[in-house]
Amino acid sequence: MGQSATMRWLLLAPFAIGTLFLIVLPALMTFALAFFEYDALSPPAWRGLANFSEAFHDPVFYTAAWNSLIFVGFAVPLRILGAMALALLLERRRQGTSAYRAAVFLPTVVPDVAYALIWLWIFNPLYGPLNLMLAAFGIKGAAWLVNPDTALGALIFMSLFQIGEGFVLTLAALRQIPTDYYEAARIDGATPERCFWHITLPLIAPWLFLLFARDVVITLQSSFTAAYLMTGGGPYYATFLMPIMIYEEAFDRFRFGLASAMMLTVFAAVAVTLYAVQKMMRHWLHEDHV
Amino acid sequence: MKTMSEKAAFWSFIRYHPWRLLAALLFTVPLVWVVGFSLRQPGLPPPRSIEWIPDPIVWGNYARIFDIVPLATFLGNSLMVAAIAVPVTLLTASFAGFAMARSDLKFRQRMVLVCVLLMLVPVTALWLARFILFVNLGVIDTIWPLVAPAIMGSSPLFVLLYYWSFRRIPNEQFDAAHLDGASALGLWHHVAMPQARAATVTVTVLAFIFYWSDFFSPLLYLKSEERYTLPVALQIMQQMDKTNWPLLMAGATFMTAPVVVMFLLVQRHFWPDESKGEKTSAVAG
Amino acid sequence: MKPLRSVLCASAALAFASLAEAGEVSFMVFGDPAEKAAYQELATSFMAKRPDIEVKITHIPGQSDYRKRLATDFAAGAPADVTLINYRRYAGFAAKNVLEPLGPYFEKSTVIKATDFYEEAILPYMWKGTLTCLPQNLSSLVVYYNKNLFDEAKLAYPSDDWTWDDFVSTAKALTKDIDGDGATDQFGIGTEASVFRLAPTVWQNGGDIVDDPAKPTRLTLDTPAAKEALQWFVDLQVKHKVMPDRVNEASEDSDSRFQNGRLAMFLNSRRGVPAYREITGFGWDVAPLPQGKQKAGILHADAFCMSASTKDKPSTWAFIEYAMSADGQTILAKSGRTVPSMKSVANSKAFLDPSVAPSRSNVFLDGIGDIRAVPVMETWVDIESVIGKELERGVFGEATVDEVIEAATKRTLDYFPK
Repeated sequence: MGQSATMRWLLLAPFAIGTLFLIVLPALMTFALAFFEYDALSPPAWRGLANFSEAFHDPVFYTAAWNSLIFVGFAVPLRILGAMALALLLERRRQGTSAYRAAVFLPTVVPDVAYALIWLWIFNPLYGPLNLMLAAFGIKGAAWLVNPDTALGALIFMSLFQIGEGFVLTLAALRQIPTDYYEAARIDGATPERCFWHITLPLIAPWLFLLFARDVVITLQSSFTAAYLMTGGGPYYATFLMPIMIYEEAFDRFRFGLASAMMLTVFAAVAVTLYAVQKMMRHWLHEDHV
Repeated sequence: MKTMSEKAAFWSFIRYHPWRLLAALLFTVPLVWVVGFSLRQPGLPPPRSIEWIPDPIVWGNYARIFDIVPLATFLGNSLMVAAIAVPVTLLTASFAGFAMARSDLKFRQRMVLVCVLLMLVPVTALWLARFILFVNLGVIDTIWPLVAPAIMGSSPLFVLLYYWSFRRIPNEQFDAAHLDGASALGLWHHVAMPQARAATVTVTVLAFIFYWSDFFSPLLYLKSEERYTLPVALQIMQQMDKTNWPLLMAGATFMTAPVVVMFLLVQRHFWPDESKGEKTSAVAG
Repeated sequence: MKPLRSVLCASAALAFASLAEAGEVSFMVFGDPAEKAAYQELATSFMAKRPDIEVKITHIPGQSDYRKRLATDFAAGAPADVTLINYRRYAGFAAKNVLEPLGPYFEKSTVIKATDFYEEAILPYMWKGTLTCLPQNLSSLVVYYNKNLFDEAKLAYPSDDWTWDDFVSTAKALTKDIDGDGATDQFGIGTEASVFRLAPTVWQNGGDIVDDPAKPTRLTLDTPAAKEALQWFVDLQVKHKVMPDRVNEASEDSDSRFQNGRLAMFLNSRRGVPAYREITGFGWDVAPLPQGKQKAGILHADAFCMSASTKDKPSTWAFIEYAMSADGQTILAKSGRTVPSMKSVANSKAFLDPSVAPSRSNVFLDGIGDIRAVPVMETWVDIESVIGKELERGVFGEATVDEVIEAATKRTLDYFPK
């Protein structure tokens, strides 16, 4: 038994070491750097809370935070709703279901750079297919990424098509609901609508919470790639998001300390949000399905 | 009676397909546009209405993109990254998943929790510190920072996928093999892995997509042109001529096609109800 | 496991092959393929002279990506041995001591000497009393114009002493809705909404962008002269509509519109020439900026900088020295890319040859006496970026000139020394 325990640790070792090196250590470094001035060229110098106070005194920081909040606040719920709708639509197997599922998953596998480039073209106000298609229906399109009022919305919109992950997760959640629950409800004369609210939703709630948490994180990341490649944060700060600001502070201005302080702030905000949502959903999350 | 059921089948067919077809089109039509546009003659004035099939069809665009950037070199580099990272990922993720699956309940629960928490760490947030780490290790402008995540199985999700697969194997099989004198590694090799083929396929494809698509690692860590990977190539093409949409769409298609083909070939393993005996709820990461 | 191991070994070998060897000089440049070709020719001809040294070019097509790339490279401690850096941007790097000052090398050189060069280009590269980088060129801002569009409109080509009003009326005559759908397809003027493009207008009007060019402490766009110039600049789009608006600029930027023959006049430095020489659809030439109350142009200069971390400094200097010599300057001048910083080459046929476009290259030299530079300071990049964002709003009619000035002044305050 002792030997197999050793073996188990050996098998776990690469994963554990990799995680320590690539996640735990960088996380600790980020935490520490937030209190230093560091430009990667000269040794770090203690700065206390000065990085935080500098960030909180910068109006651009609030613009970035607000934009990120809007992005996550709209994109995440819409993405989860979309994933749920698709999962409910394509839950039961019939002829063709597999093709439909593959089709809705397809945009998710498109590499980020290609995806950004494709949407940059689709959104082109004069020649892009989106406005050309709208024009065919007699609708005058918008300037999308070019107009400060619509740019952030356009980025949110394009993120709604990469929801394969949530789709599969919700599909899995739906599959694990025992079918006799529904049969019993049907015998009691429950409508499909009641079934959804009283059986389906409560039973998939823990999964949805997991999906919510994961999607907040994913959205922060994908919003960054899109904004970095497509709008560069513009027009006029309209898509200037927290990760863009952090990236610019760190890699354009060598201000790793300030960037780390901003990063910690984002971390804290995400943690508080998840904690609050978990509290709010507590009566639904009593069953642990993990 | 027969006509009745035929009629019912007809109506259920009518009720079933349109919405689903609409959803499928919504998600695929943009990609169809892209492929169509990638065959358009570059330099023509932009179209004033949607053009599904360009006239003339210019296959030469796909040759042109090899002229404007050394695409063959970049392709080779991308394949090299995947060729190192994907096998290593399969090993480390399955090792970890196996170790977890063979542990007692308490440890298992803890490890699942750890993996789920790790999935909630925004990787973007760690770039900065990882960058400093790799600088100090002196591996800038090498392939190593790009393939490094493979040591930790690339994503905790892959570990979980293996874990779930292995948990589905009856304990008796392991006990029997153990009595026959098989070591832990032997159990992994002869009992666990052969029964987790679906997980292996899924992880292979997802890990491939992960490394194939990675844009920011090469952007931060690679310095010499001869080491660039495809995502960087696409960005370079855009900088060189940002209004030559037909060529840019050809580049995007060229880069996307392999992952789409791979995904379509193995997609049946992705769906939770498909595989017999194994539940692999695949989540792209 | 065996194949895996061999793959790992092979890639390790590949990875370590990258470490620089003696006699190898890496050189990072930005620009379009035509510009890259010019630098490649420079490197090739240097290597023919010095077969013991290999120059490897890294080419970044986009200028903004080049800037980002420079920053990450220095932060990673892995910059190219030679980089091309604009005088508006080198100060941030010089302040961090990541550039090897070239002054001492320059003084000892037997090939090149200070008096060979225009001091207008050299002076901005003095950082804390030491010459830091060596400028390859000194371009001023000029007006590139499409001759065919002028001919079609039966307009005379711009004269050397045209005024702001001439400029606007010419632009108006060249702005057209060709297909009659109500939308402009051909614009008169294209430029960038940046302080760098705006500055000469302000200077010509007797104003300035900062209070003290040597020791700036704040923006002075709120002075009447500067404000009037800014209003004129903004009106090109907002009032006269001779410049693409936000949507048109985003759909196709002015530079490609000019190259595609749908923009009559484009403001650019000498940089555009290699690409424009590949234009076959129409003829083009250059004219000086239109004149205001006084003469003023703006300096564009990019310099060869050596990284402090460079291993083989003698070889690297040898390359920079060659690039700055008459031979090196001639190669770049012939490609069209540069207005040579070396006086003798600037006045030679290599640069002035009227048989290759632009035929009026002397326009670049005539303006040298009136050329002015923006302040050289560590935070200038940030200041420019902040003003640029505000200015863009003004030019695209999303904010008034007063709002632009107020926001730009306030938001740049932190970047100036107190």
